Amino acid sequence: MYRYDEFDAEFVNSRVAQFRGQVERRLDGRLSEAEFRPLRLMNGLYLQLHAYMLRVAVPYGTLRTDQLRMLAHLADKYDKGYGHVTTRQNMQFNWPILSDVPDMLTDLATVDMHAIQTSGNCIRNVTCDPYAGAAADEIEDPRPMAELIRQWSMLHPEFTFLPRKFKIAVTGSAQDRAMIKGHDIGIQIVRNDAGEVGYHIIVGGGLGRTPVIGQTLRAFLPKDDLLPYLEATMRVYNRFGRRDNKYKARIKILVRETGIEEFTRLVEDEFAALDASEIAVSADECARIASYFASPAFEAGINPLDMTNQPEAFRKWADTNVVAHTASGYAIVNISLKDPDRAPGDVTADQMRAVADLADAYSFGELRFTHQQNMVLPHVRQDALRAVWDGLVAAELEDANINLIGDIICCPGMDFCALATARSIPVAQAIAERFNDHDRQQAIGEMQIKISGCINACGHHHVGHIGILGLEKAGVEFYQVTLGGDATQTAAIGDKMGAGFSQDELIDGIERIVDFYMGERAGSERFLDTYRRLGTDAFKEALYANA
Amino acid sequence: MSTLKHKGKGPQAMTANELVSGLNVWMTADFGWSRDYTDALLTEDEDQIAAMDEAAKAEEHANTVVGAYFIDTIDGKPARYRERFRTHGPSYDTAELV
Repeated sequence: MYRYDEFDAEFVNSRVAQFRGQVERRLDGRLSEAEFRPLRLMNGLYLQLHAYMLRVAVPYGTLRTDQLRMLAHLADKYDKGYGHVTTRQNMQFNWPILSDVPDMLTDLATVDMHAIQTSGNCIRNVTCDPYAGAAADEIEDPRPMAELIRQWSMLHPEFTFLPRKFKIAVTGSAQDRAMIKGHDIGIQIVRNDAGEVGYHIIVGGGLGRTPVIGQTLRAFLPKDDLLPYLEATMRVYNRFGRRDNKYKARIKILVRETGIEEFTRLVEDEFAALDASEIAVSADECARIASYFASPAFEAGINPLDMTNQPEAFRKWADTNVVAHTASGYAIVNISLKDPDRAPGDVTADQMRAVADLADAYSFGELRFTHQQNMVLPHVRQDALRAVWDGLVAAELEDANINLIGDIICCPGMDFCALATARSIPVAQAIAERFNDHDRQQAIGEMQIKISGCINACGHHHVGHIGILGLEKAGVEFYQVTLGGDATQTAAIGDKMGAGFSQDELIDGIERIVDFYMGERAGSERFLDTYRRLGTDAFKEALYANA
Repeated sequence: MSTLKHKGKGPQAMTANELVSGLNVWMTADFGWSRDYTDALLTEDEDQIAAMDEAAKAEEHANTVVGAYFIDTIDGKPARYRERFRTHGPSYDTAELV
């Protein structure tokens, strides 16, 4: 895994020292709030509905165990004993106090971590397939590319004050687990007809108040051209992106208003005009970065675990949470952070330490955060699965609901967020409680419910199979439903249903459409397949059956 | 000190966040601050409202609080849902399970 070199460490430490001075000057009044606000945001510190919130970057969602233990340390020492995994694979702390934040950043820097690129109109933390380096269907591990983009973007003088924030996601697999079509730029590692490995560049996707599915900018980009081509794209956005209207400033609006053909021409012209050799990094440097992501020393001859005499709960967990690995004898273990009694994505400091111990013992000391607000042990010996499960049971992390109806993406909503219009956490909990029975969840099959507490769509509701948007009118929360959204390679924006529901009505309505699907599905159809086959009207009728 | 959705009608209260903790506070009758909304000064008196405005600006200048603004109230409670929510904190917090 990537470790900071001298330059990285010096830079992060200098930023911490700068921020310590900025906080001191804010506290003694030499900096006004207007002066301080952009500085704190550049260091991931927000002022939310009830308190400050610090968002810590987890580049491409990959963590070492010492880093996860450090997050646990921060949770205990400076916060309230837990953290929240976000849909950008970062971790948020909901209750820090301003005067502690420089110490938090100092502690983070000791394990190569920081809060840079987690806020502001810059290129944000790059997100990635959480199975990178372990997925059986992968062409190449996308993390060296993600790390290259991190290094290129982190201090780029041209792209520190973009028209709006900018999000990049990368994957090395045809099966999209990184939602690349829902990002400003999505990058998929592909192979061309000549067998060469390169990049499929997608541009102009995004959620928020104007959801758009990204379009192909370049179907095949040679690997050496990656950074120059990204730079050309960013320059076009930086030049033509609208700065007059915050709500029309994302690249998706520029691409839509310009048209993908003209936008592509602008990028290609810029790409042809720039000096690529000034931007591209050497093969040696690419190899140096890639070396940090070399596969662990997988052992041969590992026998699969004999499941015959294992407890039923373990077998159900293995069926749901364990995924095929590229190396024979190994498995990818998903750790659900979707306990129905807790907020989706929340994990306590003790649980973080327990997972770190399991990763050290059974996953080569490596972990992932996922954009679906779960965790992953990427490289587990199959004969160690029972030991891992025992450890997860002890840590109360054994929920067997990955990709099922209980595995809900949910923003913090009105419970924490200053922008929210309604709560989302209690809705997620109520749905999880209604469908808590594991066998029922298994019978329903793949289902992605995504909940946002406002139109900014941090809970990705537009691309949920069932999407839920929380709003408020005259002091009463209500919830609008979309159906048929898809965050994968077959990406789609969900169809809006009709009038909103109260929370209680919503849960009943969701149960009605789930029951309708169960009654109508053909063979092994997923909810999404049945929805696409039967269409909006049939499901809408079921949703409003008792309304 | 106003927000887009602030109408300035009826009894007014002044709210802000403590600079150091970030926690929500409301201005009290002695122009101090309390983390408890029930301590908040609610008034329609224009002179008192003007004095609250001056006091809040002074408190911001003194780096006690940040982001002070008036809120409308109805029947002793904040008029806007968001502001009512701020008075009692999250309806769920994992901290309570730790």
